[in-house]
Amino acid sequence: MQIVVKDVNYVYSAHTPFERHALKGVNLTINEGDFLGIIGHTGSGKSTFIMHLNGLFKLQSGEIDVFDIKLVPDKKNKSDLRRLRGTVGMVFQYPEYQLFEDTVEKDVAFGPKNMGLDDEEVKKRVKRAIGLVGLDYDDVKDRAPFELSGGQKRRVAIAGIIAMQPKVLILDEPTAGLDPYGKEQILSLITRLKQECSPTVIVISHDVDEITRFANRIVVFNDGKVMFDLPMNELFRHADELHAVGLEVPKAVRIAQKLRERGIELGDVVSLNDLLHAIVTAYNKKHMDEPVKTDVSFSAFDFDADGGHVCTQSGEDKR
Amino acid sequence: MSEMAIKLENVSFSYPTNEGEEQKAVNGVSLGIEEGSFVALVGHNGSGKSTLAKLLNGLLTPTSGRVLVYGVDTADDKKIFDVRSSVGMVFQNPDNQMIATNVEDDIAFGPENLGVPREEIIRRVNWALEKVGMSEFRHATPFKMSGGQKQRLAIAGVLAIKPRVMVLDESTAMLDPKGRDEVMAVVRQLNREEKMTVVHITHYMDEALGADRLIVMNDGKVMLDGKPADVFKEYKLLTKIKLDVPCVTRLAVTLAEAGMDVDPTITDEEALVDSLCRLL
Repeated sequence: MQIVVKDVNYVYSAHTPFERHALKGVNLTINEGDFLGIIGHTGSGKSTFIMHLNGLFKLQSGEIDVFDIKLVPDKKNKSDLRRLRGTVGMVFQYPEYQLFEDTVEKDVAFGPKNMGLDDEEVKKRVKRAIGLVGLDYDDVKDRAPFELSGGQKRRVAIAGIIAMQPKVLILDEPTAGLDPYGKEQILSLITRLKQECSPTVIVISHDVDEITRFANRIVVFNDGKVMFDLPMNELFRHADELHAVGLEVPKAVRIAQKLRERGIELGDVVSLNDLLHAIVTAYNKKHMDEPVKTDVSFSAFDFDADGGHVCTQSGEDKR
Repeated sequence: MSEMAIKLENVSFSYPTNEGEEQKAVNGVSLGIEEGSFVALVGHNGSGKSTLAKLLNGLLTPTSGRVLVYGVDTADDKKIFDVRSSVGMVFQNPDNQMIATNVEDDIAFGPENLGVPREEIIRRVNWALEKVGMSEFRHATPFKMSGGQKQRLAIAGVLAIKPRVMVLDESTAMLDPKGRDEVMAVVRQLNREEKMTVVHITHYMDEALGADRLIVMNDGKVMLDGKPADVFKEYKLLTKIKLDVPCVTRLAVTLAEAGMDVDPTITDEEALVDSLCRLL
């Protein structure tokens, strides 16, 4: 199963003074199981692109095939669109702004209900989704979403998407505006959702350091086109080209480069975790008599990595 | 000791809740913000830092205690205009602060409301645009701009009121790294060249590094208060209250905890590279 995008163009406000060519012949294949990061500066077309993947933007030219659902320009097929939206779940920037029901349970149930599932199935999915995002179902189900903290609201919004059990999960700037702890929670949540719910995950982020934490492949958008589509360790060898389009390399890559210039070679380093491991390994090679711990991790906060509790008890950090 | 721009005397604030029980968002805070200083304020979501920000210019008034802005009590309704023209505020979402369809009108809105004469408004608009580096956009429409541009425009709108203190309430949170750098460069320059007092509320510890002083809020109280490098020495405490230290410090801490002879209070990337060169 694949998502295949061929020659997709998109023009905003065509034939007006505000006309803008946002996508210029985009070709891309995304495989089932990919953990794909998309980067690009503001206005590079990355958000316009992902909106095509679940039919929020009508295709103007080109074709898109999402797990055998075929989209072509000018085709009106409601049942295809419905299937598409059940296949590709989209978590927008600041998704908590979209919460609207008076209880958490109703809000999360909105998506699956719209899919026409029976009440029992809806309830089952809502319960599971709320648990998956690390909230206590019994504790939050009857609460108003607006009573929750920022990080909790965001998790409820994500639960609303997860409840539709999409095969592909797309998140646009999932950690924007959160404090360091909330960020860590969402990042470990994404990894967990990939394992337990949606095997294919696409994340848009401004923060390259964050993307190196999980992606196995990165697509760089620039000026409406795919500039790079590479495995992560290869991408950041193109530091100069990235810099030219306003993108930075991850901090770990930069520090490894500085060390390289001073004669210390740490090998392929992309994430801060890679950097830490490379450092302690190099250290232990040189100081065999007094080795240091090798199970180092960059995160300041400990979460149960394999699906335990992503978050802490209820009632945390509420105002 | 230089003059105090803002003084908080045992300030508490509670939001009304449904259940009638009161929960103090700010709980007995006393502190002074010195004229001309650059203060960073951090705390996790719900720590009370945004409430504190709103207390600084009278958007909220204390449930108990006093906030004095250049000696004026923010609870004094008659003098609230003095307070608001002394303390300008830039919020998180630039879209919520744009009111006009072109840049000049948007910046002129503040001084117009204060009854500033036309000639002076024009002078201020020009000056404010120049200060944020957006003179060429004077006839543009704000809605088509990037986040960083919009936020600089919001700062220009505040500048046109000629405040002596600028409070930035997570004003960089919604921006991409480039926009963040743009905004921070403008704010630092205003602090340096115009002697503007800055209170910058942020989640980015790397931004807090550049401040003269770092205040850490937790549970409505000031938990740490000092030079950023000193505050970051308390990395254990910071992690406990769901905060972090700058990236370089986090690397140093992790390596030190693994057993390497690295100073866990490093905040500078070059210093980290130096000590690694020594050890590897």
